[in-house]
Amino acid sequence: MTQAIELQSVTRRFRNDNALEDVTLTVPDGAICGLLGRNGAGKTTVMSLISGQDRPTTGQVLVDGEDPFENEAVLSRISFVRDNQRYPDDYFLHHVLSIAPEFAPSWDGELAAELVEGFRLPRKPAIRKFSRGQLSAVAIVLGLASRAPVTLLDEPYLGLDATARGLFHDLLLRDLGRHPRTLLLSTHLIDESDSLFDHVVLMDRGRVVLRAEAEEARRLAMCVSGVADAVQAFCADYPVLRSHSIGGLRTSTITGRLDDDARSRAATLGVQLKGASLQDLAVAYGSGDSLQDSSKEGISA
Amino acid sequence: MSGIQAATRLHLTKKNMTFGVPLQIVGLIAVISALIALIIWRAGGLPGSEEWIDGARSNGGMAFGLLGFLVYMGVQSIATTFPFALTLGSTRKAFVGGTLVWAAVTSAYLAVIYAVLLLVELATDHWFAGIYIFDVYYLGTGDLLILLPTVFLGSLGALTIGALFGASWARFGNRGPVFLGAGLAIGLLGLLALVLPLITGSVLDGFRLWWLAVAAVVIIAVSAVMTLLLLRSAVVR
Repeated sequence: MTQAIELQSVTRRFRNDNALEDVTLTVPDGAICGLLGRNGAGKTTVMSLISGQDRPTTGQVLVDGEDPFENEAVLSRISFVRDNQRYPDDYFLHHVLSIAPEFAPSWDGELAAELVEGFRLPRKPAIRKFSRGQLSAVAIVLGLASRAPVTLLDEPYLGLDATARGLFHDLLLRDLGRHPRTLLLSTHLIDESDSLFDHVVLMDRGRVVLRAEAEEARRLAMCVSGVADAVQAFCADYPVLRSHSIGGLRTSTITGRLDDDARSRAATLGVQLKGASLQDLAVAYGSGDSLQDSSKEGISA
Repeated sequence: MSGIQAATRLHLTKKNMTFGVPLQIVGLIAVISALIALIIWRAGGLPGSEEWIDGARSNGGMAFGLLGFLVYMGVQSIATTFPFALTLGSTRKAFVGGTLVWAAVTSAYLAVIYAVLLLVELATDHWFAGIYIFDVYYLGTGDLLILLPTVFLGSLGALTIGALFGASWARFGNRGPVFLGAGLAIGLLGLLALVLPLITGSVLDGFRLWWLAVAAVVIIAVSAVMTLLLLRSAVVR
């Protein structure tokens, strides 16, 4: 399978801080990849590098096998609107809709109009007066209507109401079905996007802590809950990613497969067992506990 | 469409800012000039007299009144447009090229507007009232061949210098324009200290207007190159 996006040992340093540290990841051509992690994990920096808006301090970034930085041909195939995108002074929606096709060879005006209508984006006030949700909607319009072969969506759900999120989901799936492309989507609303992803990359503190096919990632861990002593007993043989207790009850996310042995042991100890969702994994790896164990860094399925 | 063309169009989407607002400012300066002429006339000035004409032709309103706005346009052409240009997929080089083309289009537009209004001013014997707005010393005293390059190069210089300050902000944040401004001021003062003793009477006697044109072209070229160098390493955040 050819790789649409490749980052090889990428480090991005800002003054004395490493925003990214030795990041290696690949996104296959046509994949829908979730880029997950806490605020400050490095998700937007990764997207910024992929879209040629920034350069790595060390390492290599490739899109369709080429360095995107100052590469007009590659950049015309990428769409990336950052979550805090700035627009020119006194810019209105019609300015955005009129200029975007000049840069996006595959721009679909009908889809853009459908999205504008669906999100009820106002044409009158300047974009700087838009609400957080309306700004996200403008980013979605740009991201989807550009039909870029490599589309990067940075927190597209920010501020969107439930109806708008549903609309985004429906139109995204419909359009991806008709016009397949590589999609890298960062989000904190992981449960809502879970079903979309066929690949996931999980980041924490500038490092990739997990990269896997989504199905495989879901099988990597499980959640066990019950009376604290029983849960602790169950977890004794597993690497624990995260635990939290309320009174005498405890819930732990642990690395390991939810197989018959685990089910039988859970039944014996009287604890509840379920496969970890991507959200559980993101929370577990984001808690910081898991990073203490370096063996879990860069898990790749 | 080439990247430079697309970047040029990005700037031109805001037609009112490029073509409308400068025209409004020109109109405002014209009205102010007319009002000043009226005040001088009411105070005893004699329209058409040698003294009146000499004083009226010293009116620098139309030569300098737009400069502040043009520098602002230059600053915003980079500072607030650069992040969006990269988002759309422009390269830095194409963006700077497109910004330069847009600045040239804007400057040419202003030069043509000034030229047309100068012709109207001359045809109406200075607006039927001895009001000198475009037929002034700074703009060539009614000579189109001086007015056109003066307005074009002056406008382009203001826009590209503004763009340079915008690029310094995009690259270094708030410190950029401060250090650039201080650096330019110190550099100019140092240059003056070096050159002033060399400027003798014979040099001044031999002064030609085209020297200013050459200086403007050099300033424009240096500003554009420095803008590109600053933006090449600027990070959008």
